[in-house]
Amino acid sequence: MNTGMILHTILGLLLLAIPAGALYVFDKPQLRSLGVAVGRMAVQLLVVCLMVWLLVKYNTAWLNLLWLVLLAVISGVFALRRMKLPLAQFLLPVSAGLFVGPLLVGLYLLFVVLPVKEGMDARWFVPLTALLVGHSMTMCIRGLSAYQSALKADEQQYEFLRGNGTNHLHAVLPFIRRAILAIVSPTIANLSVMGLFTMPLLLCGILLGGVTPINAFVLTLLLVVGCLASSLIALVVILWLSDRQLFDKFGKLK
Amino acid sequence: MLEVKDATIAVGERILAEGLSFIAKDGELTCITGSEGSGKTTLLRTLMGFLPVRNGFVSVDGELLTILSAHAFRTMMVYLPQQMQMLAHQLTPPELSVCEADDYAVWNALLPSAVKAQQPSPLTPEAIYRLAEKTLSEAGDKQIVIADEPAALLTPELSERMLQLLVSQADAGKTVLIASRRPQFIEQANQVISL
Repeated sequence: MNTGMILHTILGLLLLAIPAGALYVFDKPQLRSLGVAVGRMAVQLLVVCLMVWLLVKYNTAWLNLLWLVLLAVISGVFALRRMKLPLAQFLLPVSAGLFVGPLLVGLYLLFVVLPVKEGMDARWFVPLTALLVGHSMTMCIRGLSAYQSALKADEQQYEFLRGNGTNHLHAVLPFIRRAILAIVSPTIANLSVMGLFTMPLLLCGILLGGVTPINAFVLTLLLVVGCLASSLIALVVILWLSDRQLFDKFGKLK
Repeated sequence: MLEVKDATIAVGERILAEGLSFIAKDGELTCITGSEGSGKTTLLRTLMGFLPVRNGFVSVDGELLTILSAHAFRTMMVYLPQQMQMLAHQLTPPELSVCEADDYAVWNALLPSAVKAQQPSPLTPEAIYRLAEKTLSEAGDKQIVIADEPAALLTPELSERMLQLLVSQADAGKTVLIASRRPQFIEQANQVISL
């Protein structure tokens, strides 16, 4: 970062004077909250950007994969806290799902669909998988919690099916259906309201990155579809690996 | 034919029945009875392989029931659980809530709330009976019928119809095992096991 960039950053931050001024006039106590929020956001952004800077600087496939593992584990912790599920039991399945889903879809997009010359190049791999992990995490919060809470609320149905000779996989299918719909429904809802005049932030980001509008359109479309595919793969892996945590050896819900 | 030999039935450390032996024969209605909490449901669940037998064994047509074989045996069973009223989703699939497009955008960093599924609305006595009838008719040639308190939530008239339904299963040559405290069910049974 050179002197000119620092100066421009300061000039940009001067825009804060507008909301700060408004708060000064109408709600002084909120001024402190605004300062804390902006400060925290700046620090978080800086940490993330420093990490990405390091990844781009060293640019090795193994380091990128290690970063993805770390991201999957941290996302897993956040997701489980949100769902209030025990970390000891569910961290491995959730992290594995959040690693496998984004990795498979990410590699497919990078090597087959786009295709990028250096698919494992950190400049492509890191933002793409970060986006996929982020989306998969939010969707898996809905998917896994829908699955787990439906099993608890409807335990009688599971036992009824098992008692009538249905195997475990077929007995959990109605609950898997509810988990998958919990992921797909919000995506459909979001895609339905994509407006003509309020551009998605993702599209804006791609355009700001210097991509032409047509390429930005294609990239946004691929990323949205990729996010949906990645979250479904992640959910299936999570449900598969969580099975032993949810059911005992007799097939009874723990 | 389902045989229980010198079985100890327990839940955790609590022993509900010790040295229990009986044979539920084909074409007969066997009624397990006892006070509330005596272990009727636990015994039925054990016979289905959902719970282990502490001592002794359970066998179906001479084949030993184990954790590994339990599923294969359950394919020969029809099960009407005690909480039949909670099986609304067996008759109608659950309605899923409509999602609003706010929290879950690809570009949104907010985490959504965990989904909390609601318990299904309880079935009416008529619907419970209808479900029992449907389950039994769809069971085809499954040889063992297990019903846990089949009349618990039914009206007197429907209880009588349920009893006739189960008796007709026994008449068809099936092994019918029920857990009940209703005098009319005990009277109709070919064999009564008291816990």
